[in-house]
Amino acid sequence: MSFFSWAWDWVTTDANWHGSGSIPQQLVAHLGYSVLPLLIAALIGVPVGVAIGHRGGKGAVVVINVGNAWRAIPTLGLLTLLAVFLGFSPLTWLLPLVVLAIPPILVNAYEGVAAVDPSIKDAAAGMGMTPWQQVTRVEIPNALPLILVGLRTAAIFVVATATIAAYIGLGGLGRFIIDGLASNQYGPVAGGALLVVILAVLVLALFAGLSRLVIPAGLRKQAKTE
Amino acid sequence: MFYADTPGGGLITFEAVTKRYPDGTVAVDGLDLEVPAGKTVVLVGPSGCGKTTSLRMINRLVEPTQGTILLDGTDIKERNPAHLRRGIGYVIQQTGLFPHRTVEDNIATVPVLNGWPRKKARARAGELMTLVGLDPALAERYPHQLSGGQQQRVGVARALAADPPVLLMDEPFSAVDPVVRASLQDLLMSLQAELRKTIVLVTHDIEEAIKVGDLVALFRPHGKIAQLAPPEQLLAAPADDYVAGFVGFDRGIRRLSFVSTAELTLDTGAVLPADATVAQALAAGRPWICVTEAQRPRGWVDVATIAALPGGTALGQVRAEPIGHPFTVGTDSLRAALDAAVLSPAGQAVAVDDDGLVLGVATFDQLRAAIQAADGNHDTRQVQHAQEGPPSL
Amino acid sequence: MMWSWIPSNWSLIWQLTWENTKLGVLPALYGLVISLPLGVLAARWRWVYPPVLTVVNILYAVPSLALFIALIPAFGLTDTTVIIALTVFSLCVILPNVVAGLRAVPAAVTQAATAMGYGPLRRLATVELPLAVPVILAGLRIGVVASISLASVGQLIGVSSLGYLFIDGLQRSFPTEIYVGLFLVIVLALVCDLILVAVKRALTPWAPRPERQPRRQQRRQQLTGAAS
Repeated sequence: MSFFSWAWDWVTTDANWHGSGSIPQQLVAHLGYSVLPLLIAALIGVPVGVAIGHRGGKGAVVVINVGNAWRAIPTLGLLTLLAVFLGFSPLTWLLPLVVLAIPPILVNAYEGVAAVDPSIKDAAAGMGMTPWQQVTRVEIPNALPLILVGLRTAAIFVVATATIAAYIGLGGLGRFIIDGLASNQYGPVAGGALLVVILAVLVLALFAGLSRLVIPAGLRKQAKTE
Repeated sequence: MFYADTPGGGLITFEAVTKRYPDGTVAVDGLDLEVPAGKTVVLVGPSGCGKTTSLRMINRLVEPTQGTILLDGTDIKERNPAHLRRGIGYVIQQTGLFPHRTVEDNIATVPVLNGWPRKKARARAGELMTLVGLDPALAERYPHQLSGGQQQRVGVARALAADPPVLLMDEPFSAVDPVVRASLQDLLMSLQAELRKTIVLVTHDIEEAIKVGDLVALFRPHGKIAQLAPPEQLLAAPADDYVAGFVGFDRGIRRLSFVSTAELTLDTGAVLPADATVAQALAAGRPWICVTEAQRPRGWVDVATIAALPGGTALGQVRAEPIGHPFTVGTDSLRAALDAAVLSPAGQAVAVDDDGLVLGVATFDQLRAAIQAADGNHDTRQVQHAQEGPPSL
Repeated sequence: MMWSWIPSNWSLIWQLTWENTKLGVLPALYGLVISLPLGVLAARWRWVYPPVLTVVNILYAVPSLALFIALIPAFGLTDTTVIIALTVFSLCVILPNVVAGLRAVPAAVTQAATAMGYGPLRRLATVELPLAVPVILAGLRIGVVASISLASVGQLIGVSSLGYLFIDGLQRSFPTEIYVGLFLVIVLALVCDLILVAVKRALTPWAPRPERQPRRQQRRQQLTGAAS
């Protein structure tokens, strides 16, 4: 049997949709474990990235190095380390997810603002905008495409890592995978994996729609003509 | 309120202003300059001479290392930078238009910053679009949809939106092709005639400086002024070899752009209507006759070629050489007249009035006399440049 | 932190490190080998790229564990499963960079080469690809670093890597193992990254070194984008 037939069989089994630990339950839990760290990471990463992009200078070097380094950190390692010290507490999964979601958001926010044409920034300053006005009225709107890319990357990453976090006891869709692996049942393993993939693709679609909504018309059209 | 606290007319004074960078380079060296209110002062010079740095010190985008800059007698350091800048229009080479905003929202930027309701600001934007010669239908387009020339017009409109007394322009027309550049320069000059702003314009093009400036400040490398003078004086009496070299050769002829043709003596005897006869032409005693039709120039006739024809032949039926271009007395400069004479097969320029009716011709002798008179008394008059019509050189 | 654990488990540590290196480097190299011809095609025929890019974006969104699992029925609980999955991810990063790198070659350069008589293949090999190296290598760096890190997840399906130290460390409540694992993964990734930077420098001797540009020129360029 193939991956899809295993997954399909399991997903369409009605029993899996009811009771404790059911598909809807774990799905909602997974969403919660993804959205919360993402929001916190965004609240930290976007302002810091924008601020460094606006000011330039030494901070930029730090940002670039952070961007290179974060992919090297194995999420499983962080999760297990915290689990050893803290047992299974909210902090055990929240901290690594937030910390690891910040770099893509921060780096892209920085690059988005840094990449705004210098003549536009010069004009904004020269026309009498205060630094706050320059950032909010000119730099951020022009940096939105990249900021959204950063948020999207982080969102996908968080969904994936929340899946792995099931290994240290977290609920969510990863639960099916880890429990299935432990009990040698490929059905829930495949089913859980399929659901996670569908969730990830939905996140992609959500961001595609979001960017259409949020990015100023002038920038979208400009991208098309390029 | 239109612009944030900038009383007065926009007199700018540089007092011993120096800009030295941490690595030792001196961009501007002890600059003393007074920009009179309501005048256009052009800062011109080679790359790296400090002209842009000087400009950017006026709106505090660059801070001087030493010295003071005064705006209407007040030290600009005492003003809040953002408020100062709202009272100063700023136009740059790459336009710096905000790509995420429409044309009208771009123009409305400073009024909105000053607290105007958006509707009122957009209405003002519409007025300005007409002022700078943009089709109001472009108001809701985005900058990338406009041509380079249109974009720079938006840039100028944006700078004028809050009606600032001072306008700073950093190589505003360098990024467009020569035809568009000429029309933008003409736009600037017609706006200035109407609005009388204090304009400081930076360019590396000496021709542009001479064309648009009331005063030209020619910079040496490393931020010192070589000569500060009205454009015709720069052409007539360059302070030293450096200035003469920068201004370029044939400045003698270019200087004639500033000499009026209003006082030029004209020869009316060489002008005959098309129904005049060959005999009359021969009797006039001129080597060439300018043939007119309904008082407008039609062609040059070489008298030597018609000597053999029957005396009664109408001049209109004789083969004539083309006129080339005439010059308009009073409006066109002596340079235009000289050019017309050079182009004419007769070696003489046809002078017409504002309606195009022939007034007479000017021979090389008469032109030479006018040139020498101009040299003699330095009593040159600024020539008003027409916006339409034949180019005044 | 129990330092003595390290020397007494040296062979285990070495073996796992070697495994992880294979699982990290091989997928990136395979990804490069696949991305190059695909990228050349996508750069040449513009209509190919948007659908390819959509597929790449979707694939990259798939969580690594899920992709490992999806490949199990076909390839079993073996190295191959992990390598194939990580190759797909590396491809997702390297392919866009191949296309971007080739597209970034100035049109004037390719036209000059053609005008001088370079055939398309020779031009690609000797002009366009060399000029695209910095961008392609940037993608390769990301691919290698990500693969080294993601390989540890493979331990969850039993494929041996430094991830073993994480799992074993958790089961035995023994943080030393986890520290060692973290340290080695990160150092391994860093070393590979630095090697690739050196490779890039070696392959592009013509590239300016950013340290040599005079600072005033840099600041001016930042400000106005032009000298004045």
